[in-house]
Amino acid sequence: MDDEVYSFALKNTLNEIQNICPDIKNSFMFKEEGEIVAADEKTPEKVVAHVMDSFDGIFEKADAIGGVEGITLEGSKGRVTISCMNDLYLVTVTSRKADLNYVNTVTQVLIPTILRLLEKIHPSPLKNKTPSLKVETKTPVAEEPEEPLTEEPEETLETETPLPQPPVNQLIIENLGGLLVPSDTVRIDSETLSQWKELSESTKIEQVEVETFDGKTTRCKVKPIKDSKYEGKGIIRMPEKIQLDLEVRKGELVRVKPLVD
Amino acid sequence: MARKKKTVQEVAAVTEPLAVEESHMNNLRANLEEIKTFDGVIGYILRNSTSAAIDLKDPTKIIDYAILSSSAFDAGEVLSEDFDLGNVKSIIVDGKDVKVVSLTVSDNRISVFMDKEANCEKVLRKLHGL
Repeated sequence: MDDEVYSFALKNTLNEIQNICPDIKNSFMFKEEGEIVAADEKTPEKVVAHVMDSFDGIFEKADAIGGVEGITLEGSKGRVTISCMNDLYLVTVTSRKADLNYVNTVTQVLIPTILRLLEKIHPSPLKNKTPSLKVETKTPVAEEPEEPLTEEPEETLETETPLPQPPVNQLIIENLGGLLVPSDTVRIDSETLSQWKELSESTKIEQVEVETFDGKTTRCKVKPIKDSKYEGKGIIRMPEKIQLDLEVRKGELVRVKPLVD
Repeated sequence: MARKKKTVQEVAAVTEPLAVEESHMNNLRANLEEIKTFDGVIGYILRNSTSAAIDLKDPTKIIDYAILSSSAFDAGEVLSEDFDLGNVKSIIVDGKDVKVVSLTVSDNRISVFMDKEANCEKVLRKLHGL
């Protein structure tokens, strides 16, 4: 079972929860590092990305309070509850008149049960997959021989062997500006680039394909992030021109994959 | 003469709300001081557009807590806007060790920090009652 099936199972669970509990208006699940795991069909991915981005500040300073276990926002028209389940956060938006006991009973029982079930069926995806590819690549090598990404050996592969499955990372857009900044180049974590290089057995990753959740794609040059404060945060620094072309802006999530000749 | 009268009226119009604001702020601070004596409460941050007051038992945490407080309010605004939740009444961030209760009272942003087991409802009641 791969991540897509995993997400599909969770997405269905979230949809079913809403069917039995109509007071839940929206629900989605994400990882602390900023990866969307699943969202119900009513919640646009853009909204999910925007909301997740808004939690960055809280998660960054969460160590000061021992890590975040949950967040509750009480509004005049409704309430948002974010609860931690294993390594995932479940966000539920409920109406003002929702029966919270019922909502909590349903979500706090069903979701962990499904997670446990999925974990039993296939233990790897949610625990091991992080935005960093390091773990992602090692696990399949050990457990799933059909994806020998790092050990595709020296048989006859010379140069043009395409990636069996090009790695795709979800990254958060950060602005990239300045007088000397080329408008056709994005910047990505050097660690991610070197992992892509390893995977593709390429000497250099020079171009990437960026895809928005609306399906818009563009190809652009890529260079490593220089500013250390953006490193290791799952960020893609993007010039305004590319943001305009893709109709995205800072804080939104995009899918990025390397283009290898 | 007429000119002088107008000036006096203007001053009165400006100073009156300021005085009310100040007394409200003092009232708020007094309540926060009382809340600080509640079981498990470890401090508070009170901020408005002109001033801020921070009272924490552990001063080394001031910056982290201030950022956390401000991030909670920012996240609250985003959530409220994206999901049409209306006015934000409170935001509670449950940490494994510490709990943060944030709310806005008449343009004053308040975050109260307390031990995980402390009674945040009591704090909310006290502050909402203002």
